[in-house]
Amino acid sequence: MPTPVLELRHVSKRFDMTQALDDVSLTLYPGEIHALVGENGAGKSTLIKVATGVYQPDHGEIWVNGRRVHIRNSQEAQALGIAAIYQEPMVFPDLSVAENIFISHRDRGPFVNWRKMYEDAEAILAKLGVNLDVRLPARGLSLAAQQTVEIAKAISLNVCTLIMDEPTSSLSAHEVTQLFRLVSTLRDQGVAILFIGHRLEEVLSIADRVSVLRDGKLISSRPRGEVTIEQVIRDMVGRRIEDFFAKSAVQRGELLLSVRGLSKENVFSDISFDVYRGEVLGFAGLVGSRRTDVGLALFGVEPADAGQIIFEGKEIRIRSPQQALQMGIAYITEDRLRYGLSMPLSIAANITLPTLANYLGALGLIRSAAEYADAEEFRQRLSIRAPSVQVEVAKLSGGNQQKVVLSKWLNTKPKLLILDEPTRGIDVRTKAEVHHMISELAAQGLGIILISSDLPEIMAMSDRILVMREGRQMGLFTREEATQEKVMAAAMGQEYKVPETQLC
Amino acid sequence: MVHSTTSLPQRFLGWLKSWEGLLLGLLIVILIINSALVPAYLTISNQVNLFILFIEKSIVALMIAFIIINGEIDLSMASLMGLSAGTMARLFELGVPSGLAVLAALCVGLICGAFNGFWVAVVGLPSLVVTLAGLIAYRGLVWVLVEDRSISVLPAWLNDLGQKPLIGPFPFALILFFTFAIIGYIILQYSGFGRLVYVIGINRDVARYSGVNVRRVKMILFTASGFVASIAGLLYAARLGAMRSSTAEGFELDIITMVLLGGVSIFGGSGTLRGVFLSILIILNVRNGMGLAYMSANLQAGVIGLLLILSVLVPNLVSGLRARMARRYGMVRPLEVAESR
Amino acid sequence: MLTSLRRSIRPEQIRELILVLLIVALVLFFGTQIEGYYSSRTFIRISTSIAILAVVAVGETLVFLTRNYDISVGSIVGLTAFFVGTQLNHYQGIPPIAALLMAVGLGAIMGAFNGVLVAYGRVPAIIVTLGTMAMYRAMLVEYPGIKIVQMHLLPGWAQEFSRVNIIQVGDFELRLIVGIALAVVIIFQLVLTYLPYGRRLYAIGSNPEAARIAGFPYQRIVFIAFVLSGTLAGLAGFMFMGRFGNLTVGAALGMEMQAIAAVVVGGTSTMGGVGSAFGTFLGAALIGLLDQSLLRWPIISEFWRDAILGLLILLAVASDRAIVDRLRTLWARSELQLRPSMATVRQEESVHGS
Repeated sequence: MPTPVLELRHVSKRFDMTQALDDVSLTLYPGEIHALVGENGAGKSTLIKVATGVYQPDHGEIWVNGRRVHIRNSQEAQALGIAAIYQEPMVFPDLSVAENIFISHRDRGPFVNWRKMYEDAEAILAKLGVNLDVRLPARGLSLAAQQTVEIAKAISLNVCTLIMDEPTSSLSAHEVTQLFRLVSTLRDQGVAILFIGHRLEEVLSIADRVSVLRDGKLISSRPRGEVTIEQVIRDMVGRRIEDFFAKSAVQRGELLLSVRGLSKENVFSDISFDVYRGEVLGFAGLVGSRRTDVGLALFGVEPADAGQIIFEGKEIRIRSPQQALQMGIAYITEDRLRYGLSMPLSIAANITLPTLANYLGALGLIRSAAEYADAEEFRQRLSIRAPSVQVEVAKLSGGNQQKVVLSKWLNTKPKLLILDEPTRGIDVRTKAEVHHMISELAAQGLGIILISSDLPEIMAMSDRILVMREGRQMGLFTREEATQEKVMAAAMGQEYKVPETQLC
Repeated sequence: MVHSTTSLPQRFLGWLKSWEGLLLGLLIVILIINSALVPAYLTISNQVNLFILFIEKSIVALMIAFIIINGEIDLSMASLMGLSAGTMARLFELGVPSGLAVLAALCVGLICGAFNGFWVAVVGLPSLVVTLAGLIAYRGLVWVLVEDRSISVLPAWLNDLGQKPLIGPFPFALILFFTFAIIGYIILQYSGFGRLVYVIGINRDVARYSGVNVRRVKMILFTASGFVASIAGLLYAARLGAMRSSTAEGFELDIITMVLLGGVSIFGGSGTLRGVFLSILIILNVRNGMGLAYMSANLQAGVIGLLLILSVLVPNLVSGLRARMARRYGMVRPLEVAESR
Repeated sequence: MLTSLRRSIRPEQIRELILVLLIVALVLFFGTQIEGYYSSRTFIRISTSIAILAVVAVGETLVFLTRNYDISVGSIVGLTAFFVGTQLNHYQGIPPIAALLMAVGLGAIMGAFNGVLVAYGRVPAIIVTLGTMAMYRAMLVEYPGIKIVQMHLLPGWAQEFSRVNIIQVGDFELRLIVGIALAVVIIFQLVLTYLPYGRRLYAIGSNPEAARIAGFPYQRIVFIAFVLSGTLAGLAGFMFMGRFGNLTVGAALGMEMQAIAAVVVGGTSTMGGVGSAFGTFLGAALIGLLDQSLLRWPIISEFWRDAILGLLILLAVASDRAIVDRLRTLWARSELQLRPSMATVRQEESVHGS
């Protein structure tokens, strides 16, 4: 066996509530494409960040080319020959392709030799079998082309370990084929490649080895010959022992929302579903499935291009968040920090923000008493743990912050509630409280769309499950029909065939 | 904005240690120095006279505070002051009745403000670029209107308004300032609109995702800024009794310093009119002190420039220091604070 | 053939071409309007005034490329001109090189002060240079000594400075001042094209995030940009002193606005990442030409100068690619609102039985 290029030995990393990596040992050999699969939140991005020096592991060791190392930042990782390419490539739009490739080089001499740079760039691209005009500015390039530039950049720096994080999620089939050809070429040249992806057929077609992460633990690591898709899915999904709060069955009310053929160019296409009062429609899918974009379209932040939306029997076009709010649609964002809460503001101020107009008295002044009262009510109702509603939201724990976000939207008395990853990064106790709340809300007659990457959560909470993959609708299951494997398979574009030997 | 749950005396002590407390301390020191130089310094009539010298800048500063808190900036207000004064003066010179001339001047302010607002709020350009271009362009228009002359024939009633006391020893401009200050304070601290101004400045995306009409707020702010600048320009010309193309040139230095020194962060989302008021008083008295020491206008401007830089540099350094200390000595985790109950 | 043409011509070059055409058109136009326009004298006047502006504007370009702004250059020019002039008034024995170094060195120091505050103090450039604009002007005014620099007290070489020629062909004279400016433009065009430092300026302005991730010494690069801007302003100050001789404390007041206009008109983006020394030179040429020609043209009063400057800036900024893009998306979005959904179209079709 050749010396491993990169080795993670018993690496663990913890963030507040979550054990992101739990005793993970992974080995990358030169000239090997090592695929890493796992659900959202399984720990893949944390692993990448540890390998590239963004995070330092709490426990465990990193070995590069047979030597133990400490990678303290991305420059050190680069010096060790480790490079990573992400879904969103970081290019300089105003510089040419060739310049983008060589921009971080320090050793090309005191003067820029343009002709040589163009030639070298073309040579690298030729090595990759790609045809790009190296003189054009990177601005006009497609995402696929930008990724190619990133790869070329990595090669130019003599990378030994190339980490690719979901590189194909925004690419067309043709572009994917090209990318894979590129990657194979790299592999043949001796580079070790860690490929994170979720399109199983693709992954299996190119990988030499497949490892599965789940809840921060490495579940399995097998060479390609020994792997089947069903096995991988089962490893990813596993059997949970935790008792999840199951949504109580509620009498389904009238049709609240009807969506037909909803499309947004290059984002999602032909999404159709119904939501009834009293029901929870779960949206399942993996990274890049564009579920959030559908939610944003329904909330008017990024309106759809085409399609029909019928809300409470009337056809509507949702063009702005204000409009959506007025109609009774509320959207709870997945990114609390960036979009959900105004951190320096108090709990009360955050809760009343969308409905501020209701709290204004004469002359447009805020009626603090009314605001305080309503905020207090939510504090009780959702058990928000804070000394008072005047406390800054920044001082609360993640779980309590999420409760404030929930309160904020519940305060708008919505008819349709769209929840995007509502329990991400929250402690178990609060998670249960949130689930309880969702069930209650459904019972009160709200229609709820639950977007979540936590399969057990979706399975437990949804009356029906819609599965999306890369902007397309893959299936609609009822509660009875759905199993974790079926849902995961649909999310990956597979049809799940129950193995004959399975009897339970 | 954020009320703490500690007792009143505790809050007062906390406030003293804050930026505004610092300003108050600085103000007191300056007043002491100045009154040592000039015996009758602290009398009401003297203070009023001193205030009046900078009243127009102070009025505009109140408005600019709103804009900076909102996360934007307006560099064109001094040129707008000149433009509105120039419009009024020129029209009046050409025989237009004074009332109409003044109205026209105010409209110019409104239109230019709205023009700025359009590019910032609707098109989404950075306000720095838009208002920098405006600074140059509007000043250029003043030169076209007034050329290199000085127009010293202004409506009599306007001159009186600008120069003579209206109520007691206080002229119109001063009364207007205090009215604006009080109304502005109430709006910022207690009204819905004021809260939106803050929220957008803290995080524009959060505001948008919460259903706030960000565009409308910014449009209102910039239009109002143009209007306030035009009022201030008219008052300034009225007080001087004349105007020329260079009227109000360079005022943006003092105005922005008044706002930033007052604790309003250039990055948006924080600051109060209380602080701005204190810093107005400081700048006023610092300038007066410098005048008493026979420092030239240019030198005074230099000092103000230094103050401007310090008012952003010092908080940056302090927060940088705090971050470094936190990293070295460990941070108190927010979780523990909240969960302790 | 068209594609290979498209390959070799960049949008910036089209803009430069337009500027050249504009300049030629203006020259032809003013030639018909102003008597004696095509004289050696006019050329000298115009070219020397363009020269000083061009030097300052090139420095400003460097700052703009990194997405920063420097409005203190006018004060730097004034201060260095005044300082050196005053020294020369007192000590006529100072050799020209020493005087030049004084000016350039002083400019560099002032630029460094700006740079430290922006790059390391994290104070926004507009605030820093708004403050230093006033501070440097104050230093100029308070510099001990007489309040004016007098031409006749300058050493001989300084008095003759603006009249020195580097090329003289018959009636046509190319002043040394112009030569210096051309040299600066050429040098910095080369720097921006062939030096890694120059390319990093573009990178930082184009995508500051990516620049940080790529490990650039972000702060050092920005700091140096400001130092260079100050240095060039110092050089311009030296040239200014040479050209005007008699200086008051109002020297070079307002020059920063002209410099910014030259930069922006010359194709440098206000959002960084795009621009060139040559483009800035064309911008300075256009503005200088307009300025000096309007002075001699009785039909439009000279007071339109600033308004036209403002207008040019507005036009230049509006034609900035990033802005055109944004307007285009806005337009597209408003167009989208008019498009009926496909479902309703189908309904209509079925109703009308098409």
